Amino acid sequence: MRGLWQHFLLSLRLNARNRHALAYGYLMPVFFLFAFASVFAADTPPLRGQMGQLLVITILGGACFGLPTTLVSERERGVWRRYRLLPIPVSRLVVSALLARLVIVVSAAALQIVLARLVYGTPWPEHGWLLAVGVLASMIAFLGLGLLVAALANDVPSVQGLGQAIFLPMILIGGVGVPLAALPVWAQRVAGFMPGRYAVEWLQAAWNPEFSAKQMMFDGVALVAIGVAAGIAGIKLFRWEPAARRPRGATKWALGSLAVWLAVGGLAWQAGRLRAVLPEAAAWETIAREQIERITYEDLPGDNEVVTRLAPPLEGSLDDPRAVAFAKGLQTWQPGRLANAGQSIRNLVALAAIADLCQDRCEAEMARLVFDRLRTHFDHEDLTRGLAWVILAPDEGTVVRQAPELGLSRHPPERAIRQRSILYAQKFLGRIEKKIDEAMPALGRTDRP
Amino acid sequence: MPPAPQAHSSADLVEVNGLVKRYDGVAALDGVDLHIRAGEIVGLLGRNGAGKTTLLECVLGLRTPDAGTVRIQKTDANRGEAVRVGAQLQTAGLQDHLTPREALMLFAGFYEQPAKPDALLRRFGLEEKANAKFATLSTGQKQRLFLALALVNRPQVLVLDEPTAGLDPVSRRDLHTLILEARAEGCAVLLSTHYGEEAETLCDRVAILDQGRILKMDTPSALRGPVGTVVTIASAPAPAVEIFQGLPEVAGVEPQPGGCVVRTSDPVPVLAAVTRWAEARGAQVTDVRVRPRSLEDIVVELTGRPWETGTVEGV
Repeated sequence: MRGLWQHFLLSLRLNARNRHALAYGYLMPVFFLFAFASVFAADTPPLRGQMGQLLVITILGGACFGLPTTLVSERERGVWRRYRLLPIPVSRLVVSALLARLVIVVSAAALQIVLARLVYGTPWPEHGWLLAVGVLASMIAFLGLGLLVAALANDVPSVQGLGQAIFLPMILIGGVGVPLAALPVWAQRVAGFMPGRYAVEWLQAAWNPEFSAKQMMFDGVALVAIGVAAGIAGIKLFRWEPAARRPRGATKWALGSLAVWLAVGGLAWQAGRLRAVLPEAAAWETIAREQIERITYEDLPGDNEVVTRLAPPLEGSLDDPRAVAFAKGLQTWQPGRLANAGQSIRNLVALAAIADLCQDRCEAEMARLVFDRLRTHFDHEDLTRGLAWVILAPDEGTVVRQAPELGLSRHPPERAIRQRSILYAQKFLGRIEKKIDEAMPALGRTDRP
Repeated sequence: MPPAPQAHSSADLVEVNGLVKRYDGVAALDGVDLHIRAGEIVGLLGRNGAGKTTLLECVLGLRTPDAGTVRIQKTDANRGEAVRVGAQLQTAGLQDHLTPREALMLFAGFYEQPAKPDALLRRFGLEEKANAKFATLSTGQKQRLFLALALVNRPQVLVLDEPTAGLDPVSRRDLHTLILEARAEGCAVLLSTHYGEEAETLCDRVAILDQGRILKMDTPSALRGPVGTVVTIASAPAPAVEIFQGLPEVAGVEPQPGGCVVRTSDPVPVLAAVTRWAEARGAQVTDVRVRPRSLEDIVVELTGRPWETGTVEGV
């Protein structure tokens, strides 16, 4: 035990003596702090919305580069070969090295938090315990990956290559460097298959006044599962010999640990956790009454024209079984029942647009059914804002491109759906705002007297 | 320095029986038997690739043999049970920023009753460098530190893999003294070496290893046998082998381009024969060297191959 304690302390001391390790472990996090502060200078309070990302960058760097660089460099020097002769299992020394790395990374994260507070006035985290547990869960995930990188890398330059293969995707499209809301929808979905997204989500929650315990639970389990799987593979493939070849089955173990990423992403997808994140500025709630009132309804195509057909109010039962199935499916259609009402409204309007673009034989009835669904499912305020958002910010949010579960299997171009959605949203909003009389529906440009 | 007498203890501290180790089907060790008693230094002498390092690693439990057993103090080393064994490995190293004092304290921390780090620093002449970074130490100082680390657990068995490789003669002599001190304290020492002279200086017994087999094992003087001198003659023309016929002291003559090499128990009759032949033939003798027969000579004779035909280092 005394030896392990000595090894733990020495690992910290040797890190402090290594200028490169100090620069990478402490200067880089500070550099990222200043860089984020200048990029997000307009936010108030400063950096409060980016602390999760900043901490994950630090943890990712320390665990996926710092740890394997140290382990592989010591292996190359024959240090681990010498350790093998000690009267304890090498795995205990590995654990000691992991704990030392935990202390190094936590100290760098603490430096970021304190500097953000002192230099930019960033508030302290709202939930300290959430931050502590989140850092621990993130460290488990990324130290596990670091251990696997150390086992797979033949030398220190290989550590850089393998580390970058994990680091860069998470920074660029994993929601760690570039905020999720700034990413295209496909990248946001891909991010759901990477641990970085869950680590950021958790750590950022520590700065938010409210958080979802259910969400935290999923994030925590995802991080620990990814870390444990990679850690087991890392220990299984661990090499203490300087010139040892990569063990047999290394690729299988590495792929096996990556399969957990896929499983986590798949579960998140299935549970509807990978819904698109909207940029703050584009939130539909910010649409003001004045903006809604400035919307005009002239020049809309007629309800019986080729474009944007809309059936009159439905009375009695539907005749066409296709329309009946659509009406039934609409009641439980998940994209129309999201927690984000604005996005749900956009998704529902998109259904009418898709049916119209595909010239479905029930396009007019489907549009009417969508309108009825909108009126019955959303309150007036949300519905007017949501429809106005579709009209005023057609490129924001995500858009549904097909709904085979509702019989709409073809997928028109996204641009066309967004454009057609504007017209339907205008027709719907005009009726709700009583600017279009249901008894005298919008006149087509060709119908105008 | 003459080898110390054999230890009186009859108990073998290290027992290696029928050890076989193969790499990719090629036998690095092929049925090795070896016993070492307390207070005895046994040397493994052989070319690169003879199997020395593999044998040491099997003894230390770093490699699992394909067949055979290694027992240290009646404890199976392959099961990883704790035994007081110290080791210095050829390719083991330390972190650049670690100091000798820290290294000794670190390794001492893993044992119940370790040697005191300060005492080891004193004994190995590392006091002045106690707080210097490992990277700044000379090769000799590094080797002394590795030997000190090998002794940190007060071992009864000491395994050293080419401990003086790459050292200058003074550092080599210093290290020899330290190894002999360890033996004097009762350590059973198993060391590998590439130097016949070192084996002769340090070892009570020497095992000549080639292609994974011990060809011969005995004390250095017994290995050399009564034919203890080698005479190398360079002349034009080269002396005929027949001039040494009839000399009972001569054990063998090896013709070489521009001369010959004669193995003999007494060089005087050989030199007289060469002188007579040169006068009679008017030959020009350009060089005559007389030296004791070395262990390298024995290796060459036993294997039938020149000394430096090394294969893979460290196997």
